[in-house]
Amino acid sequence: MLRRKPIETANVGSGLWKGLGMWAWLLFRISGLLLVLYLIAHIIVISTGQFHKLDALMKDFDNPVLILADLALVVAVLYHALNGVRIILMDFGVGIKRHKIMFWIAMAVVVACFAVFGYVSFTYLITGKGVVS
Amino acid sequence: MWAWLMQRVTAVLLIVCLAIHLTETHILNIGKLNSHNILVRLANRGMVAVDLILLAAAIFHALNGLRMVLMDYWFTSRSRARMLCGVLWVAGIVLMVYGTWALWPWIGPK
Repeated sequence: MLRRKPIETANVGSGLWKGLGMWAWLLFRISGLLLVLYLIAHIIVISTGQFHKLDALMKDFDNPVLILADLALVVAVLYHALNGVRIILMDFGVGIKRHKIMFWIAMAVVVACFAVFGYVSFTYLITGKGVVS
Repeated sequence: MWAWLMQRVTAVLLIVCLAIHLTETHILNIGKLNSHNILVRLANRGMVAVDLILLAAAIFHALNGLRMVLMDYWFTSRSRARMLCGVLWVAGIVLMVYGTWALWPWIGPK
């Protein structure tokens, strides 16, 4: 098949990676699978059942590595949610002629929301207190 | 058709309930989470409703999404898809019951 316009390709070395849409789909799928695993782990972990066990667990989770892992989780949630909003909007016909703009607007919202969560988490990491007293 | 529709309905529910859940736990109460703090928050029945809706919507959305991915690669025939659906429904109900039981110390009668 002859292509008149050169197509935009992501330079990953394999011939099938043809653009932003494929990355969007792939990250959507990967974040979704990670979030399924997280959901099951979260339900199980929170169900320790007894108050003193839960309090001990919360103390254990109060370390920098897990706080940063928590932020990574927030990124996965934000990406999956905002990309999903983009999909629902496009289901309704909003922006179907402007795919890339829709995606980048969604990503801008991800960055904005992450700024809030990142600010709170890093303030807590550095000062040991939240931003709301 | 219902799976397609419910995936989007639960998605919207998740966005609302997760926004509330993450703001409460991650922003307003970071570093202060313990069973007493949760007890105070769950004394408000509205928050209990948010948590239960979050649990149900998340379980449906996650397992249906998992179903979609699995059917893309392995469960491609009609009979296999049916079996997968059955397994996922059972898993979903088990998770819902388990999660509600986990909340019970805070929301059940004292």
